[in-house]
Amino acid sequence: MSAATPQAVITTRALTKEYRRQEYHVYALRDASIDINAGEFVALMGPSGSGKSTLLHLIAAMDRPTGGEILVLGHDLRAMSESEVARWRNAHIGFIFQSFNLIPVLTALENVELPLKLTRLSRRERLDHARRALELVGLGDRLGHTPRQMSGGQEQRVAIARALVTDPDLILADEPTGNLDANSAKDVLSLLTRLNEEFGKTVVMVTHDPHAARTASHVRYLEKGRLLPNGEVPEDWAPIHA
Amino acid sequence: MSVAASLCLLGVLGAVYNNFYYAEASPDQALRLIVRNRVSLANPFPIAYRARILQVPGVDEAVIYQWFGGVYKDARDTNNFFGRFAVEPDRIFRVYPEFKLADAERLAFQRERSACIVGRKLANRLGFKLGDRVQIVGDIFPMTLELVIRGIYDSQADNENLFFNFEYLNKGFGGRRQMDRISTLVLHVRSTDLVPTVSRQVDDLFRNSDVQTLTESEHSFQLSFLAFLGNVKLFFLMISSAVAFTMFLITANTMAMSVRERTREVGILKTIGFTPSEILRILIGESVTIALIGAAAGLWLATLLVNLLRSAPSTFADLSTLRMPPEIYWLGFASAAVLGLLACFFPAWSASRLSIIDALRVTD
Repeated sequence: MSAATPQAVITTRALTKEYRRQEYHVYALRDASIDINAGEFVALMGPSGSGKSTLLHLIAAMDRPTGGEILVLGHDLRAMSESEVARWRNAHIGFIFQSFNLIPVLTALENVELPLKLTRLSRRERLDHARRALELVGLGDRLGHTPRQMSGGQEQRVAIARALVTDPDLILADEPTGNLDANSAKDVLSLLTRLNEEFGKTVVMVTHDPHAARTASHVRYLEKGRLLPNGEVPEDWAPIHA
Repeated sequence: MSVAASLCLLGVLGAVYNNFYYAEASPDQALRLIVRNRVSLANPFPIAYRARILQVPGVDEAVIYQWFGGVYKDARDTNNFFGRFAVEPDRIFRVYPEFKLADAERLAFQRERSACIVGRKLANRLGFKLGDRVQIVGDIFPMTLELVIRGIYDSQADNENLFFNFEYLNKGFGGRRQMDRISTLVLHVRSTDLVPTVSRQVDDLFRNSDVQTLTESEHSFQLSFLAFLGNVKLFFLMISSAVAFTMFLITANTMAMSVRERTREVGILKTIGFTPSEILRILIGESVTIALIGAAAGLWLATLLVNLLRSAPSTFADLSTLRMPPEIYWLGFASAAVLGLLACFFPAWSASRLSIIDALRVTD
């Protein structure tokens, strides 16, 4: 890990995720090495199956690598137990899914409150934090609405509120605009930009969408499970000047 | 729903079982003993035994309690079924002091040979009023009773019978010849402490006779009627076991399906930071809570049904004292909690151990 710079919050070296099915070996990610510094907004791009979501999942410790090294916020995730990783994720990571993944029977306020239930905050404090997070994403008037009563864009904003309610160091977004119309996607990207620029959050976003990638400060490409060198673009892909 | 339905059935069965086998006798019942032929109820025993039985220390009174049977109106209508007994009006109230009757009605019953009295519940059921004539066509005894209702008695328990004068049966059946055998004799004992001794001494009196007696408590006697239906205890056990087993299967399947449907939710919770043990606790907690809610609904329904059964006509057994004992509630809630835990544990444990990626891959 000698290459890690002092301000790097994510450092991977030869990070590999390999799936074995009898005699077949499939590499979802192979020898990926990357440094992401605090306060950066990085977009990971590439065709389907290129390994970008796998890399994001490994950074979030939602999956375990089969090879290589990974250091996130100074923690060697491979050395931590499942419970330790869960608590660490709660405190440091805000994850945004493409399909929102809200709990359908809970209201927006309750969904956002959920990560705070693992903290020592009182119920009143939890609800206060959740309310403020929803106000921040422009949904202060939708506190009591369930996901079914909201549009896709609103659902994704609730998911963003849930991701930031614990004030995490890292926000990881897996194709956050993939299920949204153009206007909603624009709102969500503005929010992520604001979180990065105004609140200094480090954002790593996986996306297919060149427009979305343009909001990032850096873009890295993956192809066939390999992270391409900085500035290199897959064949047939137009480079994005972010 | 499955827990509620099953616990409702188990609750009613438990209450009936408790009523049959564990119900405490009332103070009046505890002082009574019933004498019958040791061979079976269908075999009578000599009426002359009474004189010797009355000599046994502790026996206050002994009244003939002769089942008449017969048909009232249409035998196909079960509503017309009730107990018809020939008794001695001057003795019956000393043995059954809980039968409450106006003095004038009691006197009329004692004076008129064709008089009869009926229980309040029976009178209400069949619309009997004082002065009504009741005709009962004998089947065991080849005679037709032409009775006049002279009294309606109140009693906490046994209030669905018709009692008429034994002399009427004696004269009508035997003509000039007196009946010399009866099916049952009910004794009143001075104190409950003496009941076991009296029971033994009465049977010992006739131990070496051609016709031996069996003297037992009123409760045991009632249970012997129930035994006509077969091995009722086994019947209860089999039904309860089948219900419990079915309840477990249905609940386990429902819980497994419910957990499977929530696999994606498990993935979300894990992403947020919940540990596998916390998720296991949440899933089990929900399962136990649902089972307990089902138990509460089922036991409430069972209580309603028991109340209905209590006021239903007593055909084979007296259900007028039927109650849901507190143990059934505790047992019902405890078994529901255990069931919720067992039914959910393995699917919940598997779900809590799934990796986030696998859990999130599950589509709704």
